[in-house]
Amino acid sequence: MKKYLLSFAFAFMSLTAFAQTDYEKVMTEKIAKIETCRTAEDFQALANDFIRINAKETKEWLPGYYAAFAYIQKGRVLMRDGKLKELDNAALEAEKYLAGATGVLRGDNAETHLLRKMAYSLRMMVNPQQRYKTAGAIAEAEMKAAEKLDPENPRIALIKAEDVYFTPKQYGGSKAKGVTMFKEALAKFNAYTPKSALDPNWGKAEAEYFISQPVK
Amino acid sequence: MKIQGHKILFLIALLTFITGYSQVKISGKVTFRNKGVGEVNVTLKNTYDGTTTDAEGNFSFETSEKGSHILTFTHPKYEETEKAIVIDNQNVSFNAELKEQISEIDAIVVSAGSIEASDKKRATALLTPIDIYTIAGADGQISSALNYLPGVQKVGETGGLFIRGGTASESRIFMDGSLINNYFSNSIPGIAGRDQFNTSLFKGNVFSSGGYSALYGQALSGVLMLESVDLPDQSSYDFGISPIFVSAGFQKLGKDQQHSYGASFSYSLLSLMQKVFNFNTDFIDAPKGLDGNFNFRIKTKSGGILKYYGMYTSNKMGVKSESLEPGYDFSLVRLKGQNTYHNLSFRQKFGKYLLNVGTSYSFNSSDLNFSTETNEVESGRTTLLTDGNYINFKAVADRKINRISAVRAGFELNNTDEKLNFEAIRKNYKDLISSVFAETDLGFSNALSAKIGVRAEHSSFLNKNNIAPRFALAYRLADRWTTSLAYGLFYQNPESKYINGPADLGFQKSQHYVFQLQRGTEGRTLRLEAFYKKYDQLIKTFNITQGNSQNQQTQSALNNDGYGYAKGIELFWRDNNKTFKNIDYWITYSFLDSKRDFLNYPVSLKPGFAAEHTFSAVVKRFIPEWKLGANLSYTYAKGRPYYDIVSSFEDGRAVNYTRNEGRLKDYNALNVSFNYIPSIGKKDAKAFTVFVLSISNVLGAKNVYGYNFSVDGARSSAVVPPVNTFVFVGAFISFGVDKTQDAINNNL
Repeated sequence: MKKYLLSFAFAFMSLTAFAQTDYEKVMTEKIAKIETCRTAEDFQALANDFIRINAKETKEWLPGYYAAFAYIQKGRVLMRDGKLKELDNAALEAEKYLAGATGVLRGDNAETHLLRKMAYSLRMMVNPQQRYKTAGAIAEAEMKAAEKLDPENPRIALIKAEDVYFTPKQYGGSKAKGVTMFKEALAKFNAYTPKSALDPNWGKAEAEYFISQPVK
Repeated sequence: MKIQGHKILFLIALLTFITGYSQVKISGKVTFRNKGVGEVNVTLKNTYDGTTTDAEGNFSFETSEKGSHILTFTHPKYEETEKAIVIDNQNVSFNAELKEQISEIDAIVVSAGSIEASDKKRATALLTPIDIYTIAGADGQISSALNYLPGVQKVGETGGLFIRGGTASESRIFMDGSLINNYFSNSIPGIAGRDQFNTSLFKGNVFSSGGYSALYGQALSGVLMLESVDLPDQSSYDFGISPIFVSAGFQKLGKDQQHSYGASFSYSLLSLMQKVFNFNTDFIDAPKGLDGNFNFRIKTKSGGILKYYGMYTSNKMGVKSESLEPGYDFSLVRLKGQNTYHNLSFRQKFGKYLLNVGTSYSFNSSDLNFSTETNEVESGRTTLLTDGNYINFKAVADRKINRISAVRAGFELNNTDEKLNFEAIRKNYKDLISSVFAETDLGFSNALSAKIGVRAEHSSFLNKNNIAPRFALAYRLADRWTTSLAYGLFYQNPESKYINGPADLGFQKSQHYVFQLQRGTEGRTLRLEAFYKKYDQLIKTFNITQGNSQNQQTQSALNNDGYGYAKGIELFWRDNNKTFKNIDYWITYSFLDSKRDFLNYPVSLKPGFAAEHTFSAVVKRFIPEWKLGANLSYTYAKGRPYYDIVSSFEDGRAVNYTRNEGRLKDYNALNVSFNYIPSIGKKDAKAFTVFVLSISNVLGAKNVYGYNFSVDGARSSAVVPPVNTFVFVGAFISFGVDKTQDAINNNL
């Protein structure tokens, strides 16, 4: 009998005692999926996963943050595919969940400011000629706010590098300059420790990818 | 037994453990009108479990939850749907049908007859300020740019919009809802007036070439609705310089970002260019103009906005031409024009209501002097002085019924007081047109909507009333294809310049039927419009015997016995950076068949302002490496007919007859322009400079706009543009807290 009891106890322990909370488990699983998403549909499905968690965990800001992040990534895929008309919707959804996240946080942090910046950049790309002074200016202001709050944040360095990398030469951008900035961002990633296992920690692979690209 | 009991306990524990963690599969299909919907978020409410449907609408997920639950289906384009389910040990499978979410973004809007250019409606966005500035041959003027849209006729000798077989006076231009009485500058007969309003004053425009809303009236053809800019993004100083003008201006944005004010000033003089180019027109006084304007904009605490724009212009010119009359060598015309316009508008939301109130005042004075010259001696001058005072007021209240339906109603007052002095003639024309109108937008679904409106007007001069119903329907045939239908009755007072004697007159009337088919995709627009217009009660006139010093005939209205029709087909295709990188191009073709018996026409004739075929093409190429924009435009219009109509008097009755008639040669013009923007890419550039070089009618086509005839009809002279080919160079510099560059650099 003792044996039975012991095995039962072990079995139980392995399932509960060492396990994370359900929230941590599901978040870890979904955050891991970010790296495997490729298409706009993938990112929409991921956004939906986070929205589901967000609806249940009303006291957590991260589900909303990641839902917004998934929408922004979806928008960036759409932008690459030239589907500019759909960017406003992606940005709108992202802003909606960011508003929820900042509600929980009682204010913005550097990470939410950065996502806002990315959302407004998407909006600007719908019609750069007309929107650079509106959406473009807000994006810039959000970027500055993020930098002020967390100057060592590697994701801020990453997005700044991307902006330079993709800006045509005649507008002051350059791939070479971009790559230098990606290297700086990578150094920041190496020195960076996220606040927790669930806190934002994306972007390192992207910096490595751009550094590995040949510069013409 | 003790052991046994333990065993049983353990077994029970194990069983509950296994069943507790056993997974049940929930699957099904989500549809809308029997078609699968992808990207629907399927959630088992208050759990982490759920999934997203695939492109066919199928979904499947596993859960360990048990008992009664609610499954939700969410998607931004559909209404959230909930289903109650009970989960036990069996897999659950069922389907869900969604309901369409009615939304402003997806709902179809009535677009028959109109073209809207604003950031909101990018699908059909046309002719934003940047578009206008980069159309070769448009001189940065809104009205000229509209010549490159379908339905607008190229009539070079007169300012104004000739829409689908209508005269210039049959179209009206509005600023923030208020009528602009003198949109074009004063000019001399045969020379078109210019736009008196700066293109960059307006953030968007809606150009309706027919079947327009009940909110507007007194235009038999169409309306152009200009929407002025709100608060500027920053304070700035602007300068412009070219051989024909200098300008300077500023915009100051308040620190609170809630108010702004600005002013600008410009002076233009053509004389320098007269030395360089061979002008067709002999200007004895080179055209010169002085223009000043002031504006302020205030945002109220509750989100409303108050805007004021006021301007004053004065211009002068004198023209000498060979006299058609025997005994005289030359005839001379001199003009002194003055105009002031003030517009105050207020827009604010009050609960469910949106209130738009606008008022405008304008004063226009045209002082024309006519004389002759014989053996280098100038005769005494006769003066034609026309002064006009206009006051307009308009209020519209708008209430949303649901997301895509609305009702709006309001009233409009237009007061006219014109004085004309010519030799012994003193004319004073006064009219107050009072209008009420109501309109409703009915959205039945995202694919079907209707607009029903009615407008009633009273004219104090005519002492008559009219009631004009308007109706439009829009239907989405497929994802990218939309179709609209519009019908409307339109009334307009006779033009005051024809009221020179007693006559019992009434409103002139037109009926529009417009059908539109449009295909809109990212960056590409294809539009086909067919229309039929029927005119009734147009005024008939006779010629008052003309003096030999004037080459403009004066006509006097007799009655409303005129009538006519116009029908046609128009095609528009625009491809903005989609097929060719950095190339935006569009082409239009308009076919117009029109006949009228109006004014002094002896019988029903093809009007002199209607060309049967008009073709135009606009190409814009931006070359980022060179920071250069290169633009090309071409217009072809089939030769318009011209008439020399005179009146004879038999038994005291005027009889009109055609003395000379013919057809003008076809109109052709190829224009090019370049914009060079050196500051692009310079991160810390303090000034934003644009250099412009534009050449209109590069090939030097000798276009003819019409003919003038001598009093006896034996001699004639061609009405031609002041210059065949014109070259414009200029530099526009803008200083200020310019965020342009940062924004571009950070985001491209």
